[in-house]
Order: sequence, then C-alpha cells, then structure tokens
Amino acid sequence: MAGLANVIYSTFMRKNTVLLTTAFAGAFAFELAFDITSNKVWDSWNQGRQWKDIKHRYMVKEEDDE
Amino acid sequence: MDQPMTGPVIPIASESSGSNFNFRLHPPSILTSLSTTRGSIPPVVNCPHNVALLRFQHPAAHRRSAAAPHHPRRRHLLPAAEGSCRCEVSPFASANEAGSTLKIPDFSKYKSKNSPRSNQVFSYFMAGSLGLATAVGAKATVQDFLVNMSASADVLAQAKVEIALGAIPEGKNVIIKWRGKPVFIRHRTQAEIQEARESKWEGLRDPQPDEDRVQRPEWLVMLGVCTHLGCVPIGEAGDYGGWFCPCHGSHYDISGRIRKGPAPLNLEVPAYSFPEEETLVIG
Repeated sequence: MAGLANVIYSTFMRKNTVLLTTAFAGAFAFELAFDITSNKVWDSWNQGRQWKDIKHRYMVKEEDDE
Repeated sequence: MDQPMTGPVIPIASESSGSNFNFRLHPPSILTSLSTTRGSIPPVVNCPHNVALLRFQHPAAHRRSAAAPHHPRRRHLLPAAEGSCRCEVSPFASANEAGSTLKIPDFSKYKSKNSPRSNQVFSYFMAGSLGLATAVGAKATVQDFLVNMSASADVLAQAKVEIALGAIPEGKNVIIKWRGKPVFIRHRTQAEIQEARESKWEGLRDPQPDEDRVQRPEWLVMLGVCTHLGCVPIGEAGDYGGWFCPCHGSHYDISGRIRKGPAPLNLEVPAYSFPEEETLVIG
C-alpha cells in the first residue's frame, strides 16, 4: 500500500503542474466517456422509438418511388 | 521546574530534582556569552550551530584546522543563522517526568493508521478529483450558453436557398423567398449587360460599377427590398429599364442601382455562390 502511494505521489502529485495537467486531461477523458455512456443508455432505453431507428421504413419507400 | 515561562531564561539545572536538567529555549548569543564567560555550563544541546558560534570565537584555531574548509563569508552568515537552531529539547515540561501533574490525553485512537504518504496521496487525489469535476462543470456551463446563442437547426435549414438556373430563360426575372425577404434573380441579355457596364456610374447617388454587383454578368442577384422604406419594387419597369418602386417612385437601373427617387442606396446584393454551372446558392 505504501509503495503504491509512493508511486502515485511521485508520478502525479510531486509537481503542481503535473497534477493540474492530469486533472484537465482526466476531465477531457471523463467528459468523453460520460457522453458516450449516457448516449448509449439513452439509445438502448428508447430502442425503436427514435427517428434513426424507424428512418429506413420511410426513406427506402421514397427511393423506390423515384 | 517552577520557573516562570516569560522571556528567555538562562539555563540552570533544576536544583530540586538534581539529575534532571530542564532548559528553556533562548537566543544562541546568550548561550555563547555564557559559555565563554563561565565556561562551566554543561553542553546544552547537540546543536551544530553552537559549535559554529564557538568556532567564531577562535578564528585562528578554526583556520588552522585542515579538515574544515575555510569560509571567508562565515562572519556574515552567522547572524542570519541565529534562531534557526533545531534543538531536540522540548521547551515544555514532559508528562513522563516523575511527579508531573501534566496530563496529556491519548490521541492515538484518532491518529491515522495509514502511512503519512498515503494520507497525502488521498488529500491530493480529492483535490485533483474536485478540480476535474469543476473543470467538466465549467466547460458544460460555458458550452450551454454558447450553444444557446448559436442558430438553431430550423434557422440553419432556412439559411440557404438553392436555385436551378436552367429554368430561368434569358431576359426574365425570378423572385424567390430567402430568409423571409424577396430576392430578385435576373437573367440579363447581352444588351442589358452592355448597358449596365457602359453607364457612367461615377456620378450616381451610390456610385458602384456593375462588376462589383455581379459575380457572373448574366446573373443579377439582389434583395428585392427598396432601400428607401422597404417596399418591393416592380421588375421591368421605371425610367431606366430596371425596377421601379411604386411606393415613393424610386427608379433602379438594370444593375439595381438607384437612379431617381428618394431611395439612398442601390439594391442590396446578398452573399451567393455558384457551386455548379447551373446552380445558384444564396446564403
């Protein structure tokens, strides 16, 4: 435990610049992951009810008419 | 033991307990003077600063010693070092002494069992995580405001109009609606182009050459709003073969420039482009 703490401390927390950079990079990655995850949850929750799910029923017909 | 706690106190061995020496912190200068005048005081603490002070009293002996390198600036360094002596002796009485009435509660129950480093890592991790969350929240807030200010999808969908030019014969006007306003598109004949180019534009009310008003000479594209009070002029009318505003009698020529009447400016030319040969996109 103490060894791991030492490694974490010397890697990320020894310099304030490194800590800040890690925080901002983590914020970027967290936002990306959060957005992707929430979009997936939303899509699976509304499966078959969104326009992109039923689009093929209408768009294919239109192409057939032309 | 029962000495008052005020001011620097000369180190004196407590006479009651005899074996136990109890010292107070004091400026090293007093120590030095004591050790030089009396010379019988036992060494107070194992402090290198005192050693340095003693050496300062005997510069000749110090210079002679080969082990220690000579520092010419030591004389100036010494006063700054005063008070920085890290003595190991506590200035306060110890609870472990025999007969002591001082009772210090046991705080070991509240002490962290982890190593100091892992406690440090925990607090820095919490600070960093809160910074991360704050950064995400601030970015989302700013983005929401900016998105709110930008144009919505239905506005963007109406922002551009595409026209097939093949359907407009030469010498004909077409009026289309763009962003709620009429737009005149005229397919000009060669005679009209020549007329628009050869007229003396320098003396007009809003002087502008025909080359600045059209991208291709055969296609004239203008906003169909009179620059006077906003009526829609009538095409192929007026004294100059262009447009005539029925509201207050403004005459525009075949390039859309104001020639006669109250209007102050030429008909406005919107931003447009020809992505293909026979296609016009306004906006």
